This record gives sequence, C-alpha cells and structure tokens, in this order.
Amino acid sequence: MNDIRIGVYVCSCGTNIAKMVDVELVKTTVEKLPNVAMVRNYKYMCSNPGQEMIIQDIKDNDLNRIVVAACSPNMHERTFRAALRSAGLNQYLFEMANIREQCSWVHEDRIEATEKAIDLIIGSVKRVALHEALESMEVDMNPNILVIGGGIAGLTAALELAEAGNKVHLVEKQNKLGGNISRVDLTAPYLYSARDLLTERITKVNENPLIDLHLNSKVSDLKGFLGNFTATIDKQNGKPGKESAQTVVDIGNVAVCTGYKEFDASRITHYGYGKLPNVITSFELEKMIRNGQVVTKEGKIPQYVAIIHCVGSRNQEFHAYCSRVCCMTALKYVHEIKSMNPKSYVSDIYIDMHAFGKGHEDFYRRSSEVKTLFLMYEKSDRPVIHRAEPKDDCEMLIEVNEILSGELIEIPADLVVLMVGMEASDDSNEIARLTNISQDKDGWFIESHPKLEPVATTTDGIFIAGACVAPKDIPDSVAQARAAAARILSKVSKGKIEVDAVYSEVNEEICSGCRLCNSLCPFSAIEFLEEEQRSHIISALCKACGVCVAACPSSAINGRQFTDRQLIAQIDGLFNHMEALDV
Amino acid sequence: MTKPNSKINLAVYWGAACGGCCVSILDVHEQLFDIVAAANLVFWPIALDIKYDDVRAMPDGHIDVTLFNGAIRNSENEEMATLLRKKSKLLVAYGSCSHMGGIPGLANFSNKEEIFQRVYHDSESTINKDKIRPVPKFEVAEGILELPVFYDSVRLLKEVVNVDYFMPGCPPQTERLVEVFMAIVSGAELPPAGSVIGAGDKAQCEECERKKTENKQITKFYRPWEIEDDGETCFLEQGVICMGPATRSGCGHRCITGNGQCRGCYGPCSDTIDPGAKMMSAIAGLVDSKDPEEIEQILNDIPDPAGTFYRFSLPSSIIRRSLS
Repeated sequence: MNDIRIGVYVCSCGTNIAKMVDVELVKTTVEKLPNVAMVRNYKYMCSNPGQEMIIQDIKDNDLNRIVVAACSPNMHERTFRAALRSAGLNQYLFEMANIREQCSWVHEDRIEATEKAIDLIIGSVKRVALHEALESMEVDMNPNILVIGGGIAGLTAALELAEAGNKVHLVEKQNKLGGNISRVDLTAPYLYSARDLLTERITKVNENPLIDLHLNSKVSDLKGFLGNFTATIDKQNGKPGKESAQTVVDIGNVAVCTGYKEFDASRITHYGYGKLPNVITSFELEKMIRNGQVVTKEGKIPQYVAIIHCVGSRNQEFHAYCSRVCCMTALKYVHEIKSMNPKSYVSDIYIDMHAFGKGHEDFYRRSSEVKTLFLMYEKSDRPVIHRAEPKDDCEMLIEVNEILSGELIEIPADLVVLMVGMEASDDSNEIARLTNISQDKDGWFIESHPKLEPVATTTDGIFIAGACVAPKDIPDSVAQARAAAARILSKVSKGKIEVDAVYSEVNEEICSGCRLCNSLCPFSAIEFLEEEQRSHIISALCKACGVCVAACPSSAINGRQFTDRQLIAQIDGLFNHMEALDV
Repeated sequence: MTKPNSKINLAVYWGAACGGCCVSILDVHEQLFDIVAAANLVFWPIALDIKYDDVRAMPDGHIDVTLFNGAIRNSENEEMATLLRKKSKLLVAYGSCSHMGGIPGLANFSNKEEIFQRVYHDSESTINKDKIRPVPKFEVAEGILELPVFYDSVRLLKEVVNVDYFMPGCPPQTERLVEVFMAIVSGAELPPAGSVIGAGDKAQCEECERKKTENKQITKFYRPWEIEDDGETCFLEQGVICMGPATRSGCGHRCITGNGQCRGCYGPCSDTIDPGAKMMSAIAGLVDSKDPEEIEQILNDIPDPAGTFYRFSLPSSIIRRSLS
C-alpha cells in the first residue's frame, strides 16, 4: 500500500509537442525510472478520453501519483487535478511537467528538446514522489459588500449588489455622490445629460434600504481575507480638528471604484495655464456650460475658441498613455460652444483623433460638418500660445506646426481649452496599500489578468472597476462595475469559499519568533502572536508566493506542495538524469 | 545498552580539529569525577597515552560511546573514523567540525593544490628554497616514512561512516555534554538514531533576550565594531548579521549575551537543509531598497559573505565546495 506507484502521461498535443520531442523515446526512457509504474503516450491528454485514461489507470493499476507531461500547469493543472479527484485520488498527488511552452515551442533541435523533456519529467517524477495528500479548507462567505467610491462605477456596483439582496456599505470621501461626472454637462457622443444619468443612479441608491451610505468618509483600515474582511470607516465631521466618527463593518468582498483626478495643467508651463486668464481646463469649461454661458474672464463672448488635446497625455514627460475620453469630449465642446455662441469659430488642435468607440466616428464626422478647423500637431512639437498684439483683434495667438499641410499655422484665440488627461487619484497609493492590490508605474490598479480577469485583482475578494484601473469612459466604467458586481455575486451565492490547500504555514515547534518574516508578506497574511511570541500565517490570505518560506532562516515556514525537499528532489532530477536512470 | 551502576567505556577522538572540543570536555571541572565514576576513558589522545594499536586490539563494540570531534581532512582522520565506528556501540559526531565541517571546512573554498601552494610556498613566513612538499611516502636510510594523505575536500564524519548522534557547537556547551552523558549512563531512552542531541529545536531567538520587532529593514550592514551596540536591540535591527535566527539554541546564547552576534556554530534547525542559503535569502528580504544598484551596493557591504553565512557549515551545504 505504501509503495509509490507513479503513472506518467506524455502528451503529444497534436503535433505541438510531438513535432519537436520524440515522445516514444521519452516513454521508453521514463519507464526505466524507479517508482514509475506505467507510462503512456496520447495525442491530447486534456481531452475527455485522455482524462478518462488517467482515471481508469488509477483504478486498474493502483496508481497513487500522477505526472502529466504536457503544457503549462496554468493551462491544465485544474483539468488533471479534477481527473484525480474523480478517480478518488487526492488532487495534490499530481505534478505537471511543462514540455510544451518550456520545451517543444522554444527549441529547434529535436534531440536536445527530447533530452530536455526527459529531464523535466525526471524532475517531476522525483518531486511527485514526495507530494502529500492535502485537504482544502472551506470558510463562510459574509454576503455584505464594501464599495469604495461613489462615482458612476461605485454607484452602479452598489445598486447591482443591493438589488440582488445584499447589504452594501458605500463609502464616498466627498459630501455628495456622483464623482467626476457630476462636474460634466453633456456626454459624448449622444449628448445625453450627465445629470440625468447620475440623478437616476443617486436616487435609487438613496432609496435602497440595503445600501448604507457613508459620505465624507474614508476607509482607514481593512483586515481579513476573502469572505471575512473587517473595514473601519472614518467619517469626517466636516470641521477640521473635530474628531472623526468610526464605524466598523464586516464584509466579504470589496469593490474599489475610486476613479481618477484630472491632470494639473499648470505642470505644462508654456501653455500658460494659471497665468493667461483665458487659458482654461476642460473641467472649467464644463462649469461654464453648466452655468449657461461660455465667456472669457472679461465676460465677453469669445470669437475664437481653441481646444488643445492631449494635455498631460501621450507624452513621455507626463503620462505616456492616452486618456481615452478627451477626443470625444473635445468634439462635444465643439457642439456645445457652437450651440451657445453660434458666431464663435472653434479650432481643434489634436495629435490623433481617437474615435474608437461605438458612435464615435459618426460623431467625429458630424463635428467636422459644423465648420470646425482641425489642426494636427506632432506629439513632440506642442503648440505655443502667445499673448496677441492689440492690432490682432484677438487675445492670444497659437502657433501650430500643422502636420497635414506641413505649414506653421498661427491661429487666433480668445479662449483656449486644455483637454486635461486623467491620472491616478491622490489617494490611490493609500487605497492600494489598504486593500493589498498592486499599482502600475502610473498608479493605476493592476487587474489579475489584463484580458481575462479585468476586474479581479491578485487579492481574492478585492475587485476593481472604472477609471481607477485605467482611463475609461462612462460605458466602460459602468460595464466594469456591473462585471465586478457579477463576480462578487457569484462568490456570495456560493455561501462558502474553498481555500486552496497550497499555502504556507508556520511550524510552531520550530518558530523562534525572530520576526524576520513579519513585514515581508505582500498579502499581509502574517501576524505576530504577542502572547505566544510566534508568527502565524492566515492561510486564507496566503497566496503561496513563497517569500516567507525562502526568508524563514530556521525553516519554520513550510510552503505546502513546495517544500524544500520537494523542490530539491525536482532539481536533483533535472540535473542528475544519469543517476536517476541508473546508467 | 548498559546496566545502571556499571561503568561504560568512553572514547574521545579528534580529526581535523583545533582541540577546543577536547578542552570543552575538560571544562566539566569537578563533574569530571562524576564522569570517571561512570565511565572508563579507554581512548583520548589529547589526555591519555593510548596508542592506535591498542584501539585496533579492542574487540568490536568494546567502546560504548565515542565522541568524535573534528572533520575528515586526511586519510588518518578517515582511517580512525572507520576504526572507531567498528569499535563503538554509539558514535557521536561531537562539535561543529564533525557535524558540519566547521572552520576547517572553509578550506573547501580552495583545493589541495591551492592550499599546498599557499602553505608550503607563498605564505609570508615560509622559506622553502627546495620547494619541498609533504608526500605520503618517503624513503630514508632507515626505511619508509609515511604521512597521511591530504584530501582535496574536507568531509563530514557522516560522509565516511554511519553516525548515531550529532552534538553541535564550537565547541559544544559543556552543560549539554554533561546532560547527554548522564542520560546515556543512566540508561534513559535515547532519541532516534541520526538525531541532533544536546541542542534545542528552535533558533537562538527563542532564548535571546534582545528586543525583537518586525522592523528589520536594513539600509547598511555593519561589522560589530562599527556600531554602538545598545546591548538591547536585536543585532539584525542594528544592521549586524547575526546567524541566530538560522541557528539552533542550546549554547545558552553565550555570544549574544557577551554582546557578540551569533556566528552559527550550533548549526541549523531540524528542517533546514542549508543554513547558509537560508540566512542569505532571509537577509536578502531585509534590504530596504527597490533599486537594483542600491541593493547591490548594500549587499556589497557584507564582509566575507561566504565566511559569514557558511562559517561552520560549508561542507554540509548544498554547494559543498567551490568548483576547482
């Protein structure tokens, strides 16, 4: 019974593996290894017949360890683990040898690739012999949810979650809901009223008894793990110096919808923002439009209005990325200015016109038809704004090296609108630290997979949506908010969560309380028990990254399924194939 | 193994060692009387004039316990290890050198040729005009003179013969020796063969009384004389590399009590395969910088990293020796 009987399955992956690896030779070589009870080749191990073969062999041949030599474990580890489970074998008595991505796909010499495939399999065979049966844990899921941020994404997520019957704590740092959209008049490209969009959302939120609204508040602490977080919410009393009131809430999941802030235009000094009174930002123009008139500081209707794109965006000096919404917003201004001041001339100074969204090209075409002067400038050659002479009959002159005509064009302007881009909000670092999520170099939150997991993060139970992830327009933010809500609802509906059995644990018999590991965990999973003077890992928070395992100088921390002995056996197998094969 | 009240036969031998282990046995002071009351000392070259031939003449298993200190550096060490294994019921690797290679094991950063070149030719105090080197056999008028063969690598006792127990320390703490000895002579149940005895299971930090916090971010490494030690704060938190977190307790944390950092002579805790590698990866996690160049600069401040992390354990480590 205690004999180790390993079944090894060598996949051809159609021809993906077989064209570069001699799978027959692999089979006959691996068969000679100690503890290997049987080896099979098959065209597609991941197919149903492939999995069935493993299940049948486990039952018929008393196999108690399985190695599949195929693709990356990222691709099919779950598939084969499931096969082991159906055969009644513990799913962790399994190891994958990656002979596709790390072998057949990257080599050009069939003999060497075959040797490498054999070495990889020997490593896996030696490792799997030391694998232990592990049991995953189940913990209860708290159905309550924390939504941070009361902009369009946060409002939408909160509503979606509450309308499904869950308690939601919605935390907004300002004294009102709506976020940046509440500063906007119309929306592009259909010119719907932003106010109408928001009013509908806000009214529903206010009326929903399941949503606890925390205005003027911020989350000051978040502890725990998926299914069981505890958040501390600090409410500012409005008057500085006054103590804030704290509320502590238990939740199971968090949706981070903290949005963006606009680029500070004064950082680009030669646009003269802050010095030239009639150079304004897009948000200042929105304010004028909402107040019903677009006028210069002097109260005059501007005859010439110039709109400059990509202020702070698409530029290595400030932000290399595109802020995505400004092009269409600029076109929206063309329409709004023209309808308020029909006699105004509007020029639009841009790098590229990004009109990628639904209805955007059409909107661009319609904007061209209202006699707008479009001027294209080179990314590295920004327009220059001068104060005009009295004879010029305008307040400012803008010099543009216009690409399409190849000429230096000087255009008049009484009002210049700078299309300021989006950047990560001021508190994004603090939010990232609180919720244990990562940020990219620009401060945007990082999703756990850019294509397949756009709203999940590497911390289970923390989801991100809207413009805190990257610049986004309203439909994309709303779609992400609903996606995050759907992800949370699918977790809540299960009631319980299974925690992977692969995590690190502290052997209390050995831990001496040196505290070396305490500040290393990127997931804040390590706590120090003062009374016992021991470090302790909260297994549900642990992502099995292994940082603490490597750092524990007394080997008191053990990475389950990644023990030193297992890894050394694997390395040994990789490099000592002669010894392993006894030749 | 032995009936209470009857005396056991005890032997002490040294391989590649400094003699400190033998002195640690003498350090039992007046308790030596308890030891000789319970044991016949049948072989102990540093203290008694008993010849190798006398040992060869003993029946197999005649010695109840041999405390073998020192590493295996040459053919004489190996020959005596093999002989004493045959003659002893219990063979104890006594002290860091026989346990892990110890200080002599640091010679594994060189090979035999490099060591001979240094010792017999290049060292500042050597005058050797005829370039004479020791050879295993040398003919003189009176016959053939023999010297032990000097090996390329230092090995551990357990690499040469089967070892029953390991007693760590440079040297082992005398109190631990008395405890172990008394346990053996009293017929107490002994731990499973292959165990480390006379030491704790946890690291030095378990006993160390210095204040330990989670604040162990290091921006500069110091040698002990470069800091003004307050006598209270964890050495690592002061930037001094203390091997304590990677080292078994049992010595009574004497170095630390004496305001010196732990140097690791008691060896790793039970689950550690390579204490030097363990401590290096622990230290790497403490460097307080995210800039690769700055990290390199900070790590460059570690004086003699190989000697710091592998001071007592090189031959027992995964790397074993430098490739020559």
